[in-house]
Amino acid sequence: MRIPAFIRLTIRNVRVNTDPGTMLFMLGLPALYLVVLGIMFQGIIPSIDINSSSISYTKFLAPGIVGMQAFTAGNIGGGMLWSDRRWGMFEQLLVGPFRRSEYLLGIMVVSIIFSLGGSAIMIALAISISGSFAFTAVSAGYLILILVAGTIFFSCLFLIISIVVRTMQAYNTITIFLFFTLDFASTAFYPLTSKTPLALRAVSDINPLSYVANVVRDAMVYGVSAQTGYQTLIVLLLMFVFFGISLYLYRNVQTGL
Amino acid sequence: MSSSADPSILVENLVKSYDGRKNAVDGLSFSVDRGEIYGLLGKNGAGKSTTIKVLTTLVPPTSGRVSISGIDVVKKPNLIRKIIGVVQQEEAFDFTTVEQNFKIYGMLWEVPRETVKARTEELIELFNLTEVRRKRVFELSGGQKKRLQVAREFIHDMEVLFLDEPTVGMDPIMRRSVLDFISNKAKNGLTILFTTQILEEADYICRRVGIIDRGKLVAEGSSDELKNRYGASKKLSVRTSRDLSESEISEFNGLMISIEDVDDFSVGRNEIWAMGKQMNRVMNEVMRKMAAMSIDVEQVNMDTPSLDDVFLDVVKR
Repeated sequence: MRIPAFIRLTIRNVRVNTDPGTMLFMLGLPALYLVVLGIMFQGIIPSIDINSSSISYTKFLAPGIVGMQAFTAGNIGGGMLWSDRRWGMFEQLLVGPFRRSEYLLGIMVVSIIFSLGGSAIMIALAISISGSFAFTAVSAGYLILILVAGTIFFSCLFLIISIVVRTMQAYNTITIFLFFTLDFASTAFYPLTSKTPLALRAVSDINPLSYVANVVRDAMVYGVSAQTGYQTLIVLLLMFVFFGISLYLYRNVQTGL
Repeated sequence: MSSSADPSILVENLVKSYDGRKNAVDGLSFSVDRGEIYGLLGKNGAGKSTTIKVLTTLVPPTSGRVSISGIDVVKKPNLIRKIIGVVQQEEAFDFTTVEQNFKIYGMLWEVPRETVKARTEELIELFNLTEVRRKRVFELSGGQKKRLQVAREFIHDMEVLFLDEPTVGMDPIMRRSVLDFISNKAKNGLTILFTTQILEEADYICRRVGIIDRGKLVAEGSSDELKNRYGASKKLSVRTSRDLSESEISEFNGLMISIEDVDDFSVGRNEIWAMGKQMNRVMNEVMRKMAAMSIDVEQVNMDTPSLDDVFLDVVKR
């Protein structure tokens, strides 16, 4: 039986990225946040009260960490183009039995696999720490939809960076800056309240990771509402816009750096 | 599809311009037969890599016709990529272990698992990678990486192989072994387009070579043909058994100037050397003169041209 080219590329992407370093970045770090920050901050923040609902800090944090998986997986997936260009494999694959579109699809699929797989692990870890979450068929659907859309959006963001940036130093600087800005200036770790500094609130309001984290939180904790649908639409819209931009740039990208 | 009558590689009036002004490849034409190793030689920037990029479907030609096994590269690039192998000049690896590189590459090329296993063992041994088979690629030396890069390409079957400076960083023993391996593959029907900066390699392995300069083919033929055609400049050196007097030196200077075939010469105290095309005639003239002047010869040398000489001669024109 013939395996389609994009699946072969996906298998390759999975194998290449299941090294200890990538695993630590994708699973170890979020797990550490969940366990260490969750348990430590729970002592300081006994509960999070939003919309007359009170939940424990670990229960609040867990969806944020799950949402972060979309960002991390997008970083790994989109960043593959940069490393493949840097290390010659992009050109090597394009002179092999593959089309450019299949290479791109391979990146998107591996990002989604990592995102959903990582999220499942984080949810399991969160359940073991803070008990079960109230999933319904609709909320599970929202959860999968937002993770897929968020992952594609972040993959496209990092694809664009991979195409535009030419040096390793610049690439690393940008990704580290984005990692800290998007992660910590979002609603993944703490809620936006009246006490939140204005600047942080402003960044968080335009931060796509906030929208992903909010939808995941609704799906796992608060329940799906009109606001959930609205925020999902924003992420979907961003996904389409960034997919279009990355596709436009990707069509003409040189094979090497 | 292809027929056995088609040349394996056919390039006709290929022009490639990146900016619309200067042509990186400028009306290049050549063909390579099935099972032939064809050397494409040229200075840096001569157009070799661009030609390979066009042939391997990475960049489209500006004009001209290019086909591989009778398949048009522009019209059916996806089909082309299924029948070619490419070893790039630059490193190209997945940063896994040596063994995993073979496995992943075999999987990408849809080679049956058992075949991948058997070929991996064979190639690891042939390319002397046994000791590093479980090491990750970033731990390898430059020569080991290059060996892996070349070896990995043979995990899959192909009709045409493009080798862009495949032996860079290899020691002479390994280089010879790799060239012999490649040569055997050609004997079994694999067509190879080979570029190198080490012209001895081209001399050793290629049935024909083409020299390109500024995007044009400036010379083509077998190594011997090119040596005869372009590299006919030979160097004659004659060492005398005693020092020559000033008047004798002057006589020999006069002789050299009088012979049309001498391009360059020098007459020293006890050595005369000359460069030119018909050096046998020059040698006869020098010997006759020496006999007439009762000067004994201690040593005579006539250097035959190498492919390096041909290359230098052709690209200097």
